[in-house]
This record gives sequence, C-alpha cells and structure tokens, in this order.
Amino acid sequence: MPRLLLSASLVLVAGMLAVLAADTPAVGQAPKSGGVLNIMQREDLAQGFSIHETATISTVWPSMPCFNNLVLFDPAKPIESMDTIVPELAEKWSWQDNHRNLVLFLRKGVKWHDGQPFTAKDVKYTFDTLREAKDAPAKLRINPRKDWYANVTNIEAPDPHTVIFHLKRPQPSLLMMFASGYSPVYPAHIPATEFRTRCVGTGPFKLKEWRKGEFIEYVKNPDYWAKGRPYLDGLRYVVIPERGTRTAAIQAGRLDIAFPGETSKAAAEQLKAAVPKMVISEVGSNVNDNLIMNVKKPPFDNVKVRRAMSLAIDRRSYVKAVHQGGAVVGASMQPKPYGFWGLLEKDLNQLPGYGKAAEDKDKAKQLLAEAGFTPANPLKVEVKTRAIAIYVDFSSFVINELKQVGVEGTLTQIETAQWHPLVTRRDYQMGTNLTGLGVDDPDGNFYENFACGSPRNYTDYCDEQVMKMFDQQSQELDRKKRLALVAQIQKKLEEDAARPMMGWRLDYFARWPHVKGLVPHHNIYNYGRLQDVWMDK
Amino acid sequence: MRTYIAHRLGIAVLTLLGMSVVIFFLMRLAPGDIVDILFAAAGYVNEGDKQLIMRELGIDQPIWVQYVEWLKDIASGDLGKSYRYDQPAWDVIRPLIPVTVELAILATVISVLIGVPTGVISAVRQDTMLDYVLRVFSLAGLSMPAFWLGMVIILALVSWAGWIPPLTYVSPREDFKIHLVQFLLPALAVGYRSSALLMRITRSAVLEVMREDYIRTARAKGQGERLVIWRHAFKNAVLPIVTVIGIEFAFLIGGLVVTETVFNLPGVARFLVQAILWRDYPIVQNLVMFIAVVVILSNLVVDLLYGWLDPRVRYAD
Repeated sequence: MPRLLLSASLVLVAGMLAVLAADTPAVGQAPKSGGVLNIMQREDLAQGFSIHETATISTVWPSMPCFNNLVLFDPAKPIESMDTIVPELAEKWSWQDNHRNLVLFLRKGVKWHDGQPFTAKDVKYTFDTLREAKDAPAKLRINPRKDWYANVTNIEAPDPHTVIFHLKRPQPSLLMMFASGYSPVYPAHIPATEFRTRCVGTGPFKLKEWRKGEFIEYVKNPDYWAKGRPYLDGLRYVVIPERGTRTAAIQAGRLDIAFPGETSKAAAEQLKAAVPKMVISEVGSNVNDNLIMNVKKPPFDNVKVRRAMSLAIDRRSYVKAVHQGGAVVGASMQPKPYGFWGLLEKDLNQLPGYGKAAEDKDKAKQLLAEAGFTPANPLKVEVKTRAIAIYVDFSSFVINELKQVGVEGTLTQIETAQWHPLVTRRDYQMGTNLTGLGVDDPDGNFYENFACGSPRNYTDYCDEQVMKMFDQQSQELDRKKRLALVAQIQKKLEEDAARPMMGWRLDYFARWPHVKGLVPHHNIYNYGRLQDVWMDK
Repeated sequence: MRTYIAHRLGIAVLTLLGMSVVIFFLMRLAPGDIVDILFAAAGYVNEGDKQLIMRELGIDQPIWVQYVEWLKDIASGDLGKSYRYDQPAWDVIRPLIPVTVELAILATVISVLIGVPTGVISAVRQDTMLDYVLRVFSLAGLSMPAFWLGMVIILALVSWAGWIPPLTYVSPREDFKIHLVQFLLPALAVGYRSSALLMRITRSAVLEVMREDYIRTARAKGQGERLVIWRHAFKNAVLPIVTVIGIEFAFLIGGLVVTETVFNLPGVARFLVQAILWRDYPIVQNLVMFIAVVVILSNLVVDLLYGWLDPRVRYAD
C-alpha cells in the first residue's frame, strides 16, 4: 500500500510539473524573435480601427496592436486593478491637489508610424475630443465613452512631454479608464475619420493591409519605443464569420490563437479532446448577461414586480442550463476571483435569485400576489431579445423560470440592427441583454448602465440616493472604504432589480502551446497589445 | 443575329432599370439603416448624432431623390461609397468578383463533367443496376445541401487529416497549387449538387430522344452504338442541358453564400449577405445589379448557343 501511495504521488507530481511546463517557459528559455501570428477574428471591423467610435471587441482586439495608451494593464497579469497598471506612453504620473489633478510625464522619443513625433498635444487632442470639450479640435461621429471623462474639466499640455488632467472632484479610477483597451491615444495630426480606413499609432505593430472581409495584417514596428519589442514579425487577423470554420481553423493549426470571449466551455472541451496539447485558459470576460425591465411602464414601474422577476430566476440553474457551467453568478460587478469588486458568496446568497430556488420562487409568487397578479389574473410579459442563438437560449430559460411562478411569457426575436434603437426608444417590456464592460471599475459600469439619464441605462432606472452613492464611491480614495460602498450599491441595485444579473460569462481562451507570452486577462477588451508574445517554433 | 443581340441588350437595359427600382426600394423597406448598425456597434443611440450621420451619408433625403442621385452616379460610372468601409464601392467589390466567378465556373465544369456523362449512361442503361446506382447518386446530390456537404468536408478533413485549406484567398499567381486546393473543395461540394440536377435533366432529355425514329433509323443503318448516342442522340438532347447549365451558373453567382462562408472564400455572395445585414446600400445595390447582369448575359449566351448547336434555330437579322 505505501508503495502504491508513493507511485501515485510521483505520478501526481509529474502531472503537475507537466501542466506547469506546458505553459511556462523552460528555465532559461529566452523569447525568440520572428514569425507571424495567425489570430482568429470573428467578423470584419465595424468602423475600421476607430476604437473610440465603437464599443465592440471586434474592433478593439485587432486594433490594439497599432496603438498605445497612456497606461495599460500589465499584459502578464490576468487580473486587472490599480496595482497592475503599467506605464505606456506615460512613464510616470502623479496625483496632486487631493486627487483633483493628474499629472502625466510622457515618454520621450516616441514616434507615430508615419514618423511624426508623439507629444502632449496628441494626448490633449485625444481626450478633449473624447470628452467633447467646448473647444474640442475634432468631433467623433459616435462617442460611446464620453461619460468616462465627464469629470475632466480641462486638459493642459504645458510642455511637449507633460499633460495635466484637471478634475471637478477626485476620481482615482481615471487611471483605470486610461488603461483600458478602449482608450488609445490618437495622433493630433490625423483626422479621426481616417481611422475608419487605416491606422496610424505608436504601437508595436504597423498596419500592412486590411483586405475587407478577409484579414487585417500588421508588420513589426522597427521604431517601437520598447526596445527588443515586439518579438513577432507580424500579425494576421483572419476574418472567419462561420463558427464551425473558426473552430476547425484553430484545431487544424491554421490559427494560433482564438478570439477573446469566443470559446464556450463546451467548445473548449471539444477542442481539448481533439487536440490534447491545446492550451485552454479559463478566464473571466467582464461580460454579463442581464435582464432589462422597462421601469417607466407598468407593471415594472412597481419594484415588487421587478423583484419578483428576479426572485423567480435561479441564477445557478441559469449558469448550468444556458452556459453549461461556463459562467459564474455575481451581482453588477464581476465576481471574485475574476474581478476585484465582486460581492462575496455570503452576500450574494442574500440577494433575490441567488438563494434557495424554491424559497425564492415562493417569495416571487407572494410579491406578485401583493401586486395583484394571481393564477386567475396572471402577469403576461413579452420578452424581447436579439435573434441570436445564445440570446434565444437565455430568453427561453427566463420564460421557463417565470412560468414556474405563474408569469406567462412570450418571446419576440429582434434583428440585431433593430435592438439598440428599440431599447433606446424603450419599446419593450422585458428584454434579455448582454453587457460588456471595458474596465473592471465601478465608474466604468455604474455611470454607463445605471445612472439617471445615461443613454445606455436602457431600463431608465433612476434613484437619486443611488446616484449619490455612485459619486461617493467614485471619490473615495481609501480602497477598503470604496469596496464597502460598492458592495452596498451592488446589493441595492439587485434589491431594486434595476438590471438583474444572470451570470458573468467565462472565456476559455484557446492557444497552441508554441504561443508564449500571452496571458489572457479577466477582461476580453484589454490584452490585445501582443507586444510580449512570441512563438516557440 | 446582330439585330437579335442588339434587341436583347436593349431589353437587358430595361430589365436592369426595373431591377434597380426593385432593389433600391426593397432594401429600404427593411427596418433600420446603416446608422442604426453603427450605433449598435457602439451600444447606444444618440438621436442628434444619428441625424448628423444620416445627413453626412445622404440618407436623410427623400427616397426618390436618393434613387435619382444613384442613377445619375451609375450613369457617370460612379458606383458610390460603401457606408461601412467609407471607401469607393468599386474598390470594395472588385476583389470579390474573380473569386465568385472562378468558383462558379469550376463548380459548373465539375457538374458538367460528372452530370452529363452519368446522365447519358443512365439513359442508355435505363432500368439496369447501373441506372439505379447513378440515380441514387444523383438523388443524394439533390438531397444534400451544398453548405452541409461543405461543412462535412471541412470537419472530415480536420478530424482525419488535422488539416483544412487556407482561409485567406491565395491568388493563382501567388501559389497556383494552394489556389487550386482552395477552390477545388468548395467547387466539388457545389458541383456535386449541380451535377445531380444536370444528370437527371440529361437522362430525361436523352431518353426522350432515344425514342425518336431517326435513332432507330441510325441503328438500322448499322451505325455503332457509341456514334448513335453521341452524334445523334446527345446532340439533339443538348438544348435543355445547356439551358440548365446556364441557369445553374447564373444561380451560383449569387447563390454561393453559405459555401463561401463555410470555406471562408471572400466572394460576392458572402459579402452581399454581410452588406445586407449592415444595410450598406451602395454595396448591396451594386452587387445585386452585378448578379442581374450575369444572369442576363448568361441567358443571352445560352440563347445564342442554341443557334450554334441546333442549325434549325436561326435568329432574324
């Protein structure tokens, strides 16, 4: 028996070592230069390389290598927080005047891909344009993240390598916004409109060719400011709209890495079974599925009815049924260990829909009865969703759960092109929705999705007390205190059923083992720079 | 003949004009426009900005004004600008055409090479085991959608050989071998289905001709069976076969959507679907007009071929 135990232990240790070896460079293994990385791209660019005019991973992922930010989340660390922010175009920074002024000292000797020098003027140009300053030098056709910079009153460029952001009030999270893949610096000497057709950045790769509908190709930037980077000679994002073909492509080795957020748990298991050496990393995506209810129209103007809907839907069953376990439950911020601000399990269990399913459903029935809905007079709802398989599965699950508390739901599928106009017009009663967050920070989420009057607050939920809490946490410099405030807000939002969260999607990012130096983050939007990636082949 | 061609081309112009009205107005009946899609990619809608963009793109004008402007542009050779790509429509469309035309030609050649001989053999060996086998073969082709067959081919290749064809277009000048491999597989998937239809038409046409008196006469005169079939029977049966080939080719130009999608070929059909989803009107209009031109021209070529294949058919001058 002891001999058997020893053998088993040796096998276990050997196995662990093998797993470690598969994804870490051998001791003393230096990165190799060369090679072109073939990367999965789910669809063609929406508006070219104009990251600032879109809010989709389909633009950020293939455009990030062209640009730099002021700062970035450390590519080598999967979790994103204030502690993992590293310099890019800003070498150093300093908060002054009690976090009301942010001074950034810019890197010298950086050039745009066309040879023009990068200076503070470019930073001022970019962020004045984004915040739609009165004297903004340019206007974006579409500006989805204007609210990220609502607190900035003025931007100064006192010399070519210094920028000062003046704020209305303290906002430590501003650096988090700068670090997102959604915050590249644009050149002041090139009109923003040109980024819909080409890309000129300071990034590790220069655009070689964009063949519409086929691929986007980059070559190494020989003048890149980070010496020795990038390691790769080039990148090729291959546009493959058909899911089956994408899977076949990575399985056959035509592609080296997958598309962020693309690989579900089931697909990853199939891929791993077909190619055992494929490296699959389970990471958070910072994308959640949620329920929207029109708060301005009956019956969802009644918080009891909204809470009843939330109570009726068992989140854990949702994760199993719709995502086959490839998601996690959480409130309005991505849960731990993937996110920094997520509620703890013990707090989540107290919230509607996160407790014991049978008990929650009984509570739901009770609330509905109090609101006047009984088996004789059932609540009838129309659930609208986008006509895409995953949304339809989500909606079908929701309707089924609602049925169990006596709510009669019907499903209406809406073409994608019509979805946002519809929710903007508030032409819906209940809807199933997906929200991707560019940064794991409450400011990047609450103001966008829950603030009174925000264009993306599709439910029109508006609570002045909650707004004060948003502002309070945004200004809080003590992280522990801020965490506590954010926890309170999350509980309040779930109790008010402002936008009940169903689950946070996990990504099973796939890559071939010869691809090194690529660490997927717990946020699909922020690790596409690829300057540290190399290939061991 | 020249008068006939001129007459047909004149009708073609009228047909295209009619098509232009249909496609222009039909596209605009679909709810939503490019601006809705652009905002969808941004996750919100701002009505003020929406109006500005509509003005920028000229889609705030009354529909009839937009139609007249479009016709004027076409007449002067300007195909307009892609709303999505912000580039001249011709620059976007031009690389797609050779891909689809080549795939359609290859698929047609394969369908003819498989469908016609098997149809003749099946007709000549009517009600034999060979006939039944060939008919099952053709039924299978008719029953299997080309896109499904394409997907099966891809999955079989990746499962058994761990390989699939390149997923970005390789021109014949870059590498002829890889180019051929890239096109052969989708052409086989599509060609098989087309060959099934062609086989049945061929069989039916040859069977009908084989019953004619002149076939009996030819045999009675001592002509060899091969000569009877190919010189007499097949020649007289060829007209409906050529008609179907023409129709199939024209259909393929716009009908290869899913095959192009599965094999990831950057062709007209796949791009057309994307353009429709994006409400990229200039691209949709131009691609549909291109398909219409191909259909009209292929019908004209087939009609002219009749005159060459059947000396009894003459077009008035």
